[in-house]
Amino acid sequence: MKTIAITGKGGTGKTAVAALLIKYLTEGNNTVLAIDADSDTNLPAALGDTVENTVGGMRESLLEERDKLPPDTNKKSLLEGKIYSVLVEKPRYDLLVMGRPEGPGCYCYANDLLRGIMDQIASNYEIVLIDTAAGLEHLSRRLIRDVTDLLVVTDGSRRGLETAERIRDLVTELDLNIENLYVVLNKVTDTNRERLQEYATELNLKLVGMIPFDDNIADFDLEGLPLAGLPPDSLSVIEVAKIAKKIGL
Amino acid sequence: MVIKMAVVGCPFEMSPMYEGERIRKDDLYVELAGPKSKGFEIVRSAEMNEIEDGKVTLIGPDLKEMEEGSNYPYAMIYRIAGEQVEPDIESIVERRNHDFQNYIQGYMHLNQRYDIWVRVSKEMVSKGLESLKQIAEATMMMFKNELPFIEKIEATFITDMTEVEKELEEARKVYDARDTRTRDLHDEDVDTFYGCTLCQSFAPTNVCVVTPDRVSLCGAINWFDGRAAAKVDPEGPQFPIEKGEVIDELGGEYSGVNEAAVRLSGGMFDRIRIHSFFEYPHTSCGCFEVVGFYMPEVDAIGWVDRDFKGTAPNGLPFSTMAGQTGGGKQVVGFLGIGINYFRSPKFLQADGGWKKVVWMPKALKDKVVESIPDEIRDAIATEEDAADIESLKSFLQEKKHPIVDTWAAEEAEEEKAAPDVAPAEAQAMGGMPTLAPMQMPAMSLTGGAGGGLKIILSNAKITVDKIIVKKKE
Repeated sequence: MKTIAITGKGGTGKTAVAALLIKYLTEGNNTVLAIDADSDTNLPAALGDTVENTVGGMRESLLEERDKLPPDTNKKSLLEGKIYSVLVEKPRYDLLVMGRPEGPGCYCYANDLLRGIMDQIASNYEIVLIDTAAGLEHLSRRLIRDVTDLLVVTDGSRRGLETAERIRDLVTELDLNIENLYVVLNKVTDTNRERLQEYATELNLKLVGMIPFDDNIADFDLEGLPLAGLPPDSLSVIEVAKIAKKIGL
Repeated sequence: MVIKMAVVGCPFEMSPMYEGERIRKDDLYVELAGPKSKGFEIVRSAEMNEIEDGKVTLIGPDLKEMEEGSNYPYAMIYRIAGEQVEPDIESIVERRNHDFQNYIQGYMHLNQRYDIWVRVSKEMVSKGLESLKQIAEATMMMFKNELPFIEKIEATFITDMTEVEKELEEARKVYDARDTRTRDLHDEDVDTFYGCTLCQSFAPTNVCVVTPDRVSLCGAINWFDGRAAAKVDPEGPQFPIEKGEVIDELGGEYSGVNEAAVRLSGGMFDRIRIHSFFEYPHTSCGCFEVVGFYMPEVDAIGWVDRDFKGTAPNGLPFSTMAGQTGGGKQVVGFLGIGINYFRSPKFLQADGGWKKVVWMPKALKDKVVESIPDEIRDAIATEEDAADIESLKSFLQEKKHPIVDTWAAEEAEEEKAAPDVAPAEAQAMGGMPTLAPMQMPAMSLTGGAGGGLKIILSNAKITVDKIIVKKKE
C-alpha cells in the first residue's frame, strides 16, 4: 500500500491534481481510496461524486447519541459501521470525506477509535490518495498515518510558494515521517516557467512536474463539470500521468 | 491460526488475517442486512436437552437463489447450552459472532445487534461458497473451539423479510431486558475498574478511573468501553485497574485505585476517592464536560458545562474554571466530571449527593432532570433563577433547599465552638466581599482588612505542614 497526500495553498489547483491522479490510477489497474481531508471539500465535485455525510459528521453523531446507547455497545464497531456508511463506492475507487472539523468538546476517545478504523479501512486498498489543506490537520492528529509521498502543489503566486515553504517546514516540525516530499508547479506558462523552476530549487524541494496552464480545466471549472471527465489529450492530464510515473505509481 | 475449512466441506479459509477485510461494491455478490435492509444477530441460552448440536436451519432464500448485487434481510439466531451457560453470558458470546465471522475469507461483518451489515464477495461464491449454512457451520465451529463452555450450539439463519421482522421484535425485547440489567451494574458488582491515559499527553498526572458508577470525565468512556478496549489491547490507552481492598465504600476509595494513582501520576497522588468532591477528589484532566465549583457562601456546589456561555453565580465562566481545574490536578473546591455521572446512583455520595447541588445551567439541568431526586429538583437554581450568590441564597431559602437547614446548624455549632469570632462573622454575612472560589485551592484569602471572614469546614480533615497568615500590605 502506498499513501500519497496532495496539499498546497487553496486555489493552486491541488484538488485538480488529486482528481487527475485518481483518474489516472483508476484507468490503470489499481483500487484507490480517495480521502478528502480539506474541510472545504472540493474533491467530490472534481470527481463528479455527491457525498451525503462525512467522517466528521459520523464522529459527531457518535458523540451525540453516546449517552443514549446501551451501555455495553461496542463503540468502535458502531463508529466503524458509520464510517463505512459514508464511504462513496465507485468503480475502482472509494471516496471518504473527512468533513467538519472538531467542535469544542473532547475528541481524544473518538479520534483514538477513528485512527484504528481509518488504518483498517486504508489497508484494503493498493493506493490511498489524500487531498489535504495546507495545515495538514488530519495528518498532524495522526488520523491518517504513514504518508509515503507528499506532493506540494503551487502556482506561480508568491503566496503559493510561501505556503509550500511552510508546508515543508511543518512536515519536519510535526515529525510526519514522510518518505518523499515533492513540489508540483501548476498553471505554468512560457513566461513564468523559468522563474518558477528557480523558486523550486530555492525551496529545496524535489520538483516532480510542471503542469501547463490548461484551458480545458478553466472551461470545466466554469461549467462546473467534473475534472475526471477531461479529454485524454488535455495538457494537464498528460502531465499528471508523467508525474504519476515519476513517483512510481 | 488458519483453519482450512475444506475439512468441514467449506471452500474458504478462516483466519484473523481476514479481519477488517473490506468487500467493495465492485466485488460484492450480495449485501445482507445493513443500512438498506433489516437484520439482527442474537445468542440465546437454552437447556441441554433443547439443543440439537450442530443443527442449522435456514428460512428464506439461500445464496444460490439470491440475485447478484442485491440486498437481503439477514438474521442470525444462535442457541447455546452447557453446564456453565446462563443468560448473563449471552451478550458476551453474541459479540464474538462479529470476530469469528470476520475471520471468514470473502465475508465482511460490521456492527452488532440490529445494526449488523454483512457482505459476501463474488470471489467466494465463484470459489464454491454455496450456502449460508456453510457460514453458520463455520461460525458455530469457532464458537465451540474458542468458547469451550459452549457444549451444544444450533443456529437459525433467516433471509425472509417477514420472518426477520417477526423475530426482530422478539429480539428487541431481549436486548431491552439485557440493557436494563446492564444499567444496574454497580461498583460493588465488579472486581476491576478501568483506567485511561488518553489525556496524559496534556495532563501528565491525570488519573482517570472509570467504574460502573462513574463515566470518564470526557463522558466518552464507560466501564464497558474500558473493558472492551482493555481486552483487545491491555497495553493500550485503556487498561484494567484491580479494585483491591475497599477502604471506604461510601467515598469510593480502594487500595487498587490508590496504587494506580501513584503509578499513573508519577507519585503526585496516592489517594483518590471516586465519589467525593471535597476529600481526595478524582483528578481533573481538562477534557471534562462539566466542572463543579464549591461556593463557600452557601456551602454547596454548582455545576457549569462546556456549552454554557454565561458566568456561574461565582462570577466565572466555564473556561476560567476549566483552566484553573484542568491539567491532571486534584483540586479541592473544583471537580471535572462527565455528564453521565449526574445519572449515577453514587453521584458524589460521600458529600450527600444531590443535596449538595444548588445551581446548574438550565440546558444541563434539563438533560439530567430525570436523575434529580423529586424533593430537590425544583430547589436547584439555574441562570434563570439566580445569577449571583445573593440571588442564589434567596432562591434556595424560598425553595427550601435542604442545604439551607445546614447553614443554621453550622452557625450554631460555630458559635458554640468559637464564641469570640461570632461578632466578626455576623458582620461578615452582610458586607463580606465575595470570596472567589477560584482562589480556594491556593487558600489565598482576600478581604481580611474590612469585615472579617467566614470559613466553613464541614466534616473536614486537614493536614497542614505550615501555614502563614499575613496581613495584606
